[in-house]
Amino acid sequence: MRDLHLSLNQTQRVRLQAALDQLESDASSTAAAAASVTVADTIPVNHEDNILKGHGTSDLDGQVVATLCGVVERVNKLVYVRALRSRYKPEVGDIIVGRVIEVAPKRWRLEINFSQDAVLMLSSMNLPDGIQRRRTAVDELNMRSIFIENDVICAEVRGFQNDGSLHLQARSQKYGKLEKGQLLTVPPYLVKRRKQHFHHLEQYDVDLILGCNGFVWVGQHVDTTAKESTLLSDEPSGKEETDNAVPVETRRNICRIANAIRLLSVIGLTLSVESVTETVEESVRANVEINEMLGAEFYVQTVEREAQRRASLVRKRR
Amino acid sequence: MVGLSEGEKQFLSGGIEHNIRADGRTRHQFRPISVHTGVIPQANGSARVRLGATEVIASIKAELGKPSLLHPDKGKVSIFVDCSPTAAPIYEGKGGEELSMELSVALERCLLGGKSGAGAAIDLSSLVLVEGKVCWDLYIDALVVSSDGNLLDSLAAGIKAALSNTGLPKVNVVLGASPEEQPEVDVSDEEFLQFDTSAVPVIVTLTKVGKHYIVDATSEEESQMSSAVSVSVNGNGQICGLTKRGGAGLDPSVLYDMVSVAKYVSQQFISVLDSEIAAAEASED
Repeated sequence: MRDLHLSLNQTQRVRLQAALDQLESDASSTAAAAASVTVADTIPVNHEDNILKGHGTSDLDGQVVATLCGVVERVNKLVYVRALRSRYKPEVGDIIVGRVIEVAPKRWRLEINFSQDAVLMLSSMNLPDGIQRRRTAVDELNMRSIFIENDVICAEVRGFQNDGSLHLQARSQKYGKLEKGQLLTVPPYLVKRRKQHFHHLEQYDVDLILGCNGFVWVGQHVDTTAKESTLLSDEPSGKEETDNAVPVETRRNICRIANAIRLLSVIGLTLSVESVTETVEESVRANVEINEMLGAEFYVQTVEREAQRRASLVRKRR
Repeated sequence: MVGLSEGEKQFLSGGIEHNIRADGRTRHQFRPISVHTGVIPQANGSARVRLGATEVIASIKAELGKPSLLHPDKGKVSIFVDCSPTAAPIYEGKGGEELSMELSVALERCLLGGKSGAGAAIDLSSLVLVEGKVCWDLYIDALVVSSDGNLLDSLAAGIKAALSNTGLPKVNVVLGASPEEQPEVDVSDEEFLQFDTSAVPVIVTLTKVGKHYIVDATSEEESQMSSAVSVSVNGNGQICGLTKRGGAGLDPSVLYDMVSVAKYVSQQFISVLDSEIAAAEASED
């Protein structure tokens, strides 16, 4: 839980403390608490087996000691500590959202909230005319017509380069430039890997892309099948801008969903499409104004609701 | 400060046109403000103000000094702003100097009035102890910890909160035998005089993006601004200072309109800020 920047009055403070205490007691009753360690805690290990000491551990006087704060994981003979809060750890196949910072020969360099910039090769990107062919020098000169600096792009991790930086690919229609929306930055550990990262919220007409690197895109829904047809026809870009203004109702929904994501990230709850839609529905039900979602009252209500939800889950399990 | 793509810029300006900004605020709404006073115990007064993600710390230090020869009946106040590198990497070393100078000058203009000291929000004659000999020198230092737009408004609010928290020690002055001798001063440790901040103004910055102007812009919205007008208004609705930034020209009628909007918005902001300061002082005790 990060430092609260809101001014709570006395009753709100009391309610918040009660909800947080309930969350903490629920957390400590689960089995996961037994495996959590802080720095310099000894890890209980059977010394007869040949234990392999993995990441986050260290050998101190024959004892295996944790060097990170996290949860102990054991896989056969490997013992390692997985940190709960850490920088984004990319894996092949992750969906990420990034911002172009440089247009380089035959590639774009993207910033993705990682220790290094990711690279999107021209050959990993579908050409505007859709034909599969060898990239020529003309294609290289026209790279700027596809992506330019500061564009927000959605792509998939294809692999790693030798120095550890990422190789991306955007070969499907659902990847590519993102427009008509806003980009939010949340701590990467709040976005867990799921089967689906692209969510189309029909009742709001909004696309929600939860990038594994902590960049979340909320924008107006773009029909990916229609994308192809507009790219093939040569429409002047100026006409597109005036025709495709975001309607007011969609804009309201985008702001509401973005505020829900901001609120959940400040509280520290995992971001998933279910938690976001639930928060949005709750705010609509309680008639909370969009900007008041970031205020003290809704904050306390959301924490209380989460405490109740977890308490009911624990009860169901027993 | 990251750049914005064309699509994001259009979304931003479209939102401002439709009166629904990125976080759902209307054009004339401030972000939630939080005030903590007394954060620096060694200073005579201090406050930390958070306006959304923008965070500033203001501290007031009072030292005994000699009034200037031109104004023997007035104390001295100096304002200095420092942009910390934690706010943005470009502020490291000399990078933040230009912005700090600009902010210090704007604050001095709004709070300290003209060269003769007339019209100052802080009553300088209340700072004098012995005319011509002993006066209080107030050093107002502000630090920008985190920057997400609208630094001037947050700094003014921080200074107002710090002034409310300031206690000047009571001083017993023993006049010397002859008029040329320096009087002896005895600074009390117990008794303090609280500052009267009802006359201290707040600053409301109106940022013009496209055809509309918004209050309390975030750094993304500020990147799209054509010009910005900062109006300093006190509790009586009077204008204490005016600064315009940005290269685009403004029609005078637009300027009048902006000033009247600033007056209206500032009344709400002053009441919110006053209640926050009162709550902070009460919780600190």
